[in-house]
Amino acid sequence: MSKELVNAIADMREDEALALARAMVEGGADPTGILEDAREAMDIVGQRYEEGEYYLPELMMAGEMLNGITDMVKPVLTQAPGVERRGKVLIGTVAGDIHDIGKNIVTFMLDVNGFEVLDLGVDVAPEKFVESIREFQPEVVGLSGFLTLAFDAMVDTVAAIEAAGLRDGIKIVVGGGQVTDKIREYAGADAYGDDAMGAVNLASEWIGG
Amino acid sequence: MHAKDGGDRIQMVPERTLVLACATVIEEMLPLMPSGMSHQTLDFGLHVNPESLKNTLRAALDAVRPPIDVVILGYGLCAMAVVGLGSERCTLIVPRVDDCIAIFMGSGEAYKAQHRAEPGTYYLTKGWIEAGDGPFADYDRLVERYGVEKAEWVLREMLKNYTRLALINTGQYEMDRYRDYSQETAARFDLRYEEIPGSNALIRKMLYGPWDGDFVVARPGETIPLDAFIRSHRT
Repeated sequence: MSKELVNAIADMREDEALALARAMVEGGADPTGILEDAREAMDIVGQRYEEGEYYLPELMMAGEMLNGITDMVKPVLTQAPGVERRGKVLIGTVAGDIHDIGKNIVTFMLDVNGFEVLDLGVDVAPEKFVESIREFQPEVVGLSGFLTLAFDAMVDTVAAIEAAGLRDGIKIVVGGGQVTDKIREYAGADAYGDDAMGAVNLASEWIGG
Repeated sequence: MHAKDGGDRIQMVPERTLVLACATVIEEMLPLMPSGMSHQTLDFGLHVNPESLKNTLRAALDAVRPPIDVVILGYGLCAMAVVGLGSERCTLIVPRVDDCIAIFMGSGEAYKAQHRAEPGTYYLTKGWIEAGDGPFADYDRLVERYGVEKAEWVLREMLKNYTRLALINTGQYEMDRYRDYSQETAARFDLRYEEIPGSNALIRKMLYGPWDGDFVVARPGETIPLDAFIRSHRT
């Protein structure tokens, strides 16, 4: 564990963070340890965001750093024997909404926490979710939406999954923007996630491993 | 107790009515405002944090004194900021729309039609431009703290899924300046520029009534429920 790396990410020093991570990977450091540092840094960033010290751009910059670090670490990780994915999560921003900054952070956090994530992108039609559930066979489906206009699309998507007879086999989580438990209820989802770690905790709880 | 639709309609009496509106919305309301009606403007920047917008609205409502007994909120659902608002003594009127873009377009339906046609639309109005809101608001802070390159990257990332920048022409003001700004911004971020005609139909109805199904009406002691907004999505 590298306090230096954690601080560099948390303080938005991108070049330094990437250089540190590269040196660690090349020096044969434990890749899961590097990801653990990234997770810890993300917690600090999230905390500073909550406290009003950071805003959305900092979350994006942190996400970008973490993507860079994951790319370095992944080749080493997949070489390691006995690394098995904990379960599958299908995720996408619902139809009529093109916002994905939060969804991308959730995708990243699920990924580094050991889940296999298929990200369908933005403005995803209900039929596309249905089709992808059939093909990908996820245990969890995440519907993201930032606009209040997107709430309807969440309802439609859950309805389409139900109509296709696929609802029973999966857990559906909604999240993003102003999504609350009321919206979860409205959409007919199983849970709502407040933040990226919320999504990871839900997936862990449902899938286990 | 929650507000319900319909029932006995409230009659508009200017002297007993207060418009409590966002700075962007009030600009469009003032030219049509009946004489004798009072108004109070709240800072546009509040919308970024729905919780603080809610608290500010709540404090403003608490400060309303007789003879005012009807408050027209120049807001939409606005990221849930209006949900749960109420007054012991006043009736609250709020248009049943997601946000002010619908107000400028004249109806929730017009907004949804535009939105369906192109979800990746960034809407601008005079008020939005003057308040310098959106991805552009944070630019100076970002440059100062992280440098130009990072600031540019953040803006591009924020706008990467957008395809169109639409300036709503509400016809209330000289457009040239705002058109220039909008076209420049569109060009800078590779967005298609379009001008969408606005409408004052909803603003007129907000001010004069009838406060029918296009509005959520919370009588004294009631609160504005979320259902009133999301159910309208289904119809």
